[in-house]
Amino acid sequence: MNVPTANNVIPKVLVTKIGFDGHDRGSRIVAAALRDAGMEVIYTPPWQEIATVVKLATEEDVDVIGISSLATDHLIVPKLMVALREAGLGDTAVIVGGIVPDDDEQMLLDAGVARVFHPGSPLSAITDYVREITPDLRARRAAT
Amino acid sequence: MTARAAQESAAAEPLDAGQPSSLPAGLLAGERRAVARAISRIEQGGREARALRAALQPHLGRAHVLGITGAPGAGKSTLVHALLGELLARGQRVGVVAVDPSSPLTGGAVLGDRVRMGEHGAHADVFIRSVASRGHLGGLSASTSGIVDIMDAAGFDTVIVETVGAGQSEVEIMRVADTRIVTCPPGLGDGVQAIKAGILEIADLLVVTKCDLPGAEAAERDLRDMLHLRAAGTEGEWQVPVLKVSVSEGQGVAELAQGLQAHAERAGRGRRLRAPQAPIASDEFGQRVARLAAADPLARLLGLSCSSGSEGMATVSLRVGGQHLNFNGSCHGGVIFALADTAFGLASNSRGVLAAGIDAHITYQHAVRVGEVLTASANEVSRSRRLATYRVDVTNDSGRSVSSFTGTVFLDAAAST
Amino acid sequence: MNKPTDASLLVPDADAAERALAQWQKEYRQQIGTDCAVFNRSGLPIKPLYTARDSGQDPTDDAGLPGQAPYTRGIYATMHRGRTWTQRQLTGLGTPAEYNARLLGVLAQGATAVSLIPCNSVFRGFDADESHIELLGTCGTVVNTAEHMDRALKGVDLATTSCALNDPSPFTLLAFMLAAARRRGTDWRQVSGTSNQSDYISHYAANHMFFRIALPGARRILGDHIAFCNEFVPKWNPMSVVGQHMQQAGANPAEAVAFALSTAIQNAQDCIARGIDPDQFLPRFTFFFDISVSFFEEVAKFRAARRIWARVTREILGAKDARSWRFKFHAQTSGVDLTRQQPLNNIARVTVQAMAGIFGGLQSLHTDAYDEALSCPSEFGARIAVATQNILREEAHLTDVIDPLGGSHYVEALTDQMQTEIERLMAIIERAGGMYRAVESGLVQRMIGESARKFQAQVDAGEQTVVGVNAYPLDEDRSARPVNARPDRAAMQAHVDSLRAFKAGRSAADVQRALDQLARACGDARDNIFGRVVEAAEAGVTHGEICATLRRELGFGHVQALV
Repeated sequence: MNVPTANNVIPKVLVTKIGFDGHDRGSRIVAAALRDAGMEVIYTPPWQEIATVVKLATEEDVDVIGISSLATDHLIVPKLMVALREAGLGDTAVIVGGIVPDDDEQMLLDAGVARVFHPGSPLSAITDYVREITPDLRARRAAT
Repeated sequence: MTARAAQESAAAEPLDAGQPSSLPAGLLAGERRAVARAISRIEQGGREARALRAALQPHLGRAHVLGITGAPGAGKSTLVHALLGELLARGQRVGVVAVDPSSPLTGGAVLGDRVRMGEHGAHADVFIRSVASRGHLGGLSASTSGIVDIMDAAGFDTVIVETVGAGQSEVEIMRVADTRIVTCPPGLGDGVQAIKAGILEIADLLVVTKCDLPGAEAAERDLRDMLHLRAAGTEGEWQVPVLKVSVSEGQGVAELAQGLQAHAERAGRGRRLRAPQAPIASDEFGQRVARLAAADPLARLLGLSCSSGSEGMATVSLRVGGQHLNFNGSCHGGVIFALADTAFGLASNSRGVLAAGIDAHITYQHAVRVGEVLTASANEVSRSRRLATYRVDVTNDSGRSVSSFTGTVFLDAAAST
Repeated sequence: MNKPTDASLLVPDADAAERALAQWQKEYRQQIGTDCAVFNRSGLPIKPLYTARDSGQDPTDDAGLPGQAPYTRGIYATMHRGRTWTQRQLTGLGTPAEYNARLLGVLAQGATAVSLIPCNSVFRGFDADESHIELLGTCGTVVNTAEHMDRALKGVDLATTSCALNDPSPFTLLAFMLAAARRRGTDWRQVSGTSNQSDYISHYAANHMFFRIALPGARRILGDHIAFCNEFVPKWNPMSVVGQHMQQAGANPAEAVAFALSTAIQNAQDCIARGIDPDQFLPRFTFFFDISVSFFEEVAKFRAARRIWARVTREILGAKDARSWRFKFHAQTSGVDLTRQQPLNNIARVTVQAMAGIFGGLQSLHTDAYDEALSCPSEFGARIAVATQNILREEAHLTDVIDPLGGSHYVEALTDQMQTEIERLMAIIERAGGMYRAVESGLVQRMIGESARKFQAQVDAGEQTVVGVNAYPLDEDRSARPVNARPDRAAMQAHVDSLRAFKAGRSAADVQRALDQLARACGDARDNIFGRVVEAAEAGVTHGEICATLRRELGFGHVQALV
């Protein structure tokens, strides 16, 4: 069987969509890829409220939150970042995948998003990144 | 200390003098982040988990723990939603533990999506945690019971454990609960047969879901018949009711909540803390099964993967690829046979006595297509000095039964594996 | 060559072939109006139609003739030569005033019909004052009331201009438009257009965006909608069956057609069960498809779809009028094929897709802007998309010949093969109890998911080339990427404020009465829910209020989230 990371750390990732867009083909493919890479995925339908995402991420103690945004919903990701910090989840990484215009990518990174994945990114880039950052995130969460 | 805790601490290593034995701040107050992080610590296992569990002991016994299981497609998650609504309306704080099997091939899992598909997940008085089986050989019930303990100590009034696991782990998880509910959908006759052996024996309430559909009466009758066959009264006087619920028609949910309340008062609440648990499968058998599985050339050739094994039991999986198909484009019956037979062979050889197959039968219920993941679960049905019989259920990744296999082995006490 | 599969509809012998050709010639002359002689650049005359005779082959080998069942070569005798395809570009941005400005510009550029996409907040059933302001008007127009619709369509004559509204159940945009029409004194019987993508089944299975009300309620409202339009808005197409959503979600072209046709059968059977004569509603059934860049496959797919629908309407649905047998469709070039990398390449892709749709015999076409994969399209990109159609029509003269690929060994064989595959898939749906049951159980969603997974695996493995992504990559020149148009925040805030003022200034009693009426209709099968929606629109009720009431009464539309 698969041992996903060193020291048997199995990353736990929340894959979700906020805002109004409902196109979820991409987020489902990413969720399946994370599962097939040996990770545990909490997958939600689209249109989650920001408060619900924070609650879910808290209860499931996820390492990474993956936001799929194909329309312009990434524009409210900064509000999510604020809500996460206020809930004490500053050590939960947020990655954004989908259609993010160049001008907005820096805005997201400045707001605290860990990385933006554009269309055409190979799935392995996403799974490798999650695997890479998880041990550190766990260590930081354990220290608080 | 409870009987179960005594049993566990006897098996555990002694704590260091310097280990903190107090609980994390905020946990007893039910603070969301504290509860979640404590659960993660239990999941990770090891010394910290054991220390945490020991520290929880004085704070247990207030919550009513429900276990809900049943065949896939039984409308279980709809029922859980409806029950959540009912309990919230009664002013309760409810914790939910949703248990899902990890992929036997990759070890990963998509969790809890069915439970989160409803309004209640966002309610402040609801806490939902998804747990993957991770192929643990019996360790799953330990961590699930630890999670339940945390929710109990955190002050939740009801904790619901929901599982759709396969084979033995389902039974183990149900033992974690005070009140055990088994659901069964109506129709087509295979509903009741689809319930794994061992589950009905421990059910406290039986629920026919979607009872507005045809076949509900028949399912109810089948369940009552099975109740008569059960071994008499190990649970004292509690009469197992068969309830009919239709969430879409708004029927039966309140009655179910009443039934749960009645069981809690009569026998239920805290029962899990009083009864000794069934022994967790020993590592010795699991290790033997793993060793044998790795030494099987045909298993390697076909791509069969053994995901768990214990005394008299084994689970083997396969993703159906193009090379497994017959001329009709569906999975070759010989491949399904080989899958079931491999699980049979591993289960029957798990104790170290050489077991040689002398008879085997298979039925194919449903065609299998490329891309499906099949899981064969072998369980021992009977055993004597010379002979043993096993049943193997083969299911696909939707949980549907595609094939059933029975096999008999001759045990050669002179030879060992 | 091709073997006709339905003997009763195709000509079996040489005499019959001659008679059919004569029939076509007669219809063509009657319908064409003024036909100019067409010559190509080399001076050769170009006929409207070429058959096996023209290339010296056996006349009985033809796949029929245009305008004759089963319509493989086209549903009309004259097709684009008689009347070019409608250039219907989807438009939507910002406030109604901003939309109106863009619309009038697009019409002046040569587009011949109106199309309106509402804001995502509208798709989700909310009013502007209930939504994050950052997300308002970024991908569509914020229309919440009859006033807003009136402003959005200012200067457009509703009696003569065809309007396509992207308007899922409960079809509030049409309700607002009808209210606006009444205010302008325009007779509803003159109003023409389509409730674009009104297909709740495709929303449930593949375009969750549009799915607002639980499945049984959505089914009821669609039936009411068709019945209402049948009676009061006879030039309106209330039923737009969508194959596009499935294909965008990952279904392959054969699956998209199979699912769409199965949905159409389901909806038609629901109408028949309500007592409506098929010949009453089938002529107003339209389809909406994706066109991928798999050129010949798309041409064959549409030809096969026409053939199958002609048979289904006659044999399964019992329609007797030839107008009921015609497979009418609007198509959109597929956004899923477009890339973010080297975005100008998308212009070439869109051109290929558009050509496939034109050769496939579509009735109206939307061409995507090249920057569709980067953001909601810019005005610059939208202009090129319109110009693309103009070039195909007027420079490449693609309207001159009807079904020009007909007779090609490849295209005819492929049409037959696509037909067989589509029918095989339709049989699966039928065995599952019909399309409603098939999506309720999740069967269709699983099939789509499997196709999506397979395609992604092929792309990841490099078996399916995507230029600029897994082949021929380049260091990007970022100057080729246009700047995003974002709606004017101040204008949007003013729009939200005026909506609040409007709500405060209305007669609360009128609003409540209309909503109570609407709620009661939900429990009464004899009442027409859509009729009550129209009344509510006229009483000043907003989109969000209508959706909230219907969700409360009929159930919130949750979708199955399957990975």
